[in-house]
Amino acid sequence: MKHSRIVGVAAAIAAAALVLTGCSGANDQGDDVLRLWHYEGADSAMGVAWAEAIKVFEEETGATVEFEEKSFEQIRSTASQVLNSDEAPDILEYNKGNATAGLLSSQGLLTPLDDAVDEFGWGDKLAPSLQTTAKYDENGVMGSGSWYGVPNYGEYVEVYYNKDAFAAAGLEVPTTLAEFEDVLAAFAAQGVTPLAESAAEYPLGQLWYQLALTQADRQFVNDYQLYENPVDWSGAEITHATETVQDWTEKGYISADSSGLKAEDAGVGFIGGQYPMFYSGSWWYGRFASEITDFEWGTFLFPEAELSPGSAGNMWVVPEKAQNKELAYEFIDITMRPEIQALLGNNGGVPVAADEADITDEKSRELIANFNTLTGQDGLAFYPDWPTPTFYDELNAGLQELVNGTKSPADVQQQLGEQYQAGVDDIVG
Amino acid sequence: MSAVLDEAAETLGASVREPVDAKRRSRRAGGTKRRTASDWVVLVVAIVLGFFIAVPFLMILINSFKSPADYNTSGPLSLPTSLYFDGIVAFWERVDFPEKLWNSVFISGLVAVFAVVLSMFNAFALGIGRVKGRLWIVVVILLANMLPQEVLLYPLYFMFKEAGLYDNQWAVIIIFTVIQSAFGTYLLASVFGTFPKELLEAASLDGASRWQILWRVVYPISRPMLSVLLIFFFIWTWNEFLIPLTFLVSNDTQTVPVAITVLQGDRLMDVTTTSASALLGLIPTLVFFLIFQRTLTRGITAGAVK
Repeated sequence: MKHSRIVGVAAAIAAAALVLTGCSGANDQGDDVLRLWHYEGADSAMGVAWAEAIKVFEEETGATVEFEEKSFEQIRSTASQVLNSDEAPDILEYNKGNATAGLLSSQGLLTPLDDAVDEFGWGDKLAPSLQTTAKYDENGVMGSGSWYGVPNYGEYVEVYYNKDAFAAAGLEVPTTLAEFEDVLAAFAAQGVTPLAESAAEYPLGQLWYQLALTQADRQFVNDYQLYENPVDWSGAEITHATETVQDWTEKGYISADSSGLKAEDAGVGFIGGQYPMFYSGSWWYGRFASEITDFEWGTFLFPEAELSPGSAGNMWVVPEKAQNKELAYEFIDITMRPEIQALLGNNGGVPVAADEADITDEKSRELIANFNTLTGQDGLAFYPDWPTPTFYDELNAGLQELVNGTKSPADVQQQLGEQYQAGVDDIVG
Repeated sequence: MSAVLDEAAETLGASVREPVDAKRRSRRAGGTKRRTASDWVVLVVAIVLGFFIAVPFLMILINSFKSPADYNTSGPLSLPTSLYFDGIVAFWERVDFPEKLWNSVFISGLVAVFAVVLSMFNAFALGIGRVKGRLWIVVVILLANMLPQEVLLYPLYFMFKEAGLYDNQWAVIIIFTVIQSAFGTYLLASVFGTFPKELLEAASLDGASRWQILWRVVYPISRPMLSVLLIFFFIWTWNEFLIPLTFLVSNDTQTVPVAITVLQGDRLMDVTTTSASALLGLIPTLVFFLIFQRTLTRGITAGAVK
């Protein structure tokens, strides 16, 4: 009968596949195999540096590395399940933050790294504001407690500018906030919208936070991010930020259309030369370096800012169920070496422990020097959406209303303050 | 289901619409030959709808062959200035596309076959066997379809981990065989419920056992319907994302939709390569659909009984 033949064939395929998957399922878990996952592209800064680190590691220890490139999405949504099973790798790149590494550490899925940090001296290589996202307390809140991760790279937010457009308009790189506003006004007078912005995604929220930070000190950041004291949502810092965003929108420094634009649109607008400035993160650097060919560009820190949004990047974590933890520690140590860190820097990344002298690429040196300036003055202030799981969407929604002119700054602040407090109360209890 | 079919037919545009039009025309041949105003309205609405359904596909097609520089200067809507294949090649090599393709074909193919066979057995018992409380059995079975997959995820994760099938394609095959056959059982059970009694009685008078009734009478008559189900199960399983993402941990077991996520970074996206990957992921289902579209139209138009 025809049908039973089909079923027979299907069963045969099934049986064969079962044998095949059975073989690959039983991983060769020798003592000298390091199973490693990360989600950086092979030609990204981290991808290049870590490929070299794998080579060095294999040469020095004689162990082999079983590397798999994962997708960010897969690690983000399935890490808690994978790390709770026997399929857990020995070491993986994982996202920093309370909702990710913090949550897994509080569930006991990550190995505390305190002993390894002492043994290898990683603590001395990382600036204090970089350590914040590597340490989590027993509730999984970052900033204190045991080490659960080791960051390899950093990120921060600064101003990208179009040198050709500045030269054509006869403008210099501003060093004070007043000069910055003059530059904005000069472009606006020419009918050019000076800032590439997106209120539908993170860029405008980060600008808003930066404006608040120009009026703030470290204690404000600790209150806002680590819940040390209640945040005054009608205080000088936040009022300045909200009113400036409204003011800049009215003067045409920020396009009212930005309420519907995404970060990608803003970035592409800058690459296309439509906007002369883009206030955004160092994660754009590599893409700008390879895709901007029509004009010269450079970067500068936000004028007069002691604090800027930024943090350590995603980090190495060692699952509690890892088979070869010692090898994992050795691998982490290799990635912290100056030569690997320099490789990361020369490929457009922001290394956490590099010597500026090792960086040969001129633009990269500017990027890394700005980062070192920032960490040197303890200036990494993290991101505005970190405090609560829902604040990213709430902040964007509030700023969209501000840009659209449908709400006044005072109303937006009050609304954001209530949403922030509700979220924080849920966490702190 | 017919809504899904309409959508698919619209996407294919003229190739499918033509035979339908031809049929309508020949039916009208005996009556008036002139189209009425309402015919034109329907036609225009159908074309506009078809266009909107086709837009995402056209966008993918346009942007897949565009270089990033071209995309940056002219945006997503313009035609590429020159054909650019690096995006497709880069994605192909980065994820080892043939391997992912085989995994997808293997999983979707087995699920489609198993789920159709299981649906038929279930429906035979419920629709023709008329077991007691069949309404409630169907409702319970349908739960597998009605519950959001996020709800099923953790129980399934613990079950398959205990069974030693975590990070194994068979976990995905078993899960989707059950989920797809839930829909199949529901559909087939109601169709078999209207199966003419005379045929079944005639068969049993001739001395056919239940097994023979199933294979000699019910199966041949419902074959067009079963092949339509097979195609839908294949395409639906192909496009599944959340459960394969969770259960297929190792790269060498992953399916095409899971592989596509490799291109989405933390904050950045690469529009042209992502388009290229979407195109590569879409082509196999399109090819599969084109091969079997004749079966599809036949299956829908043919009644359960000739």
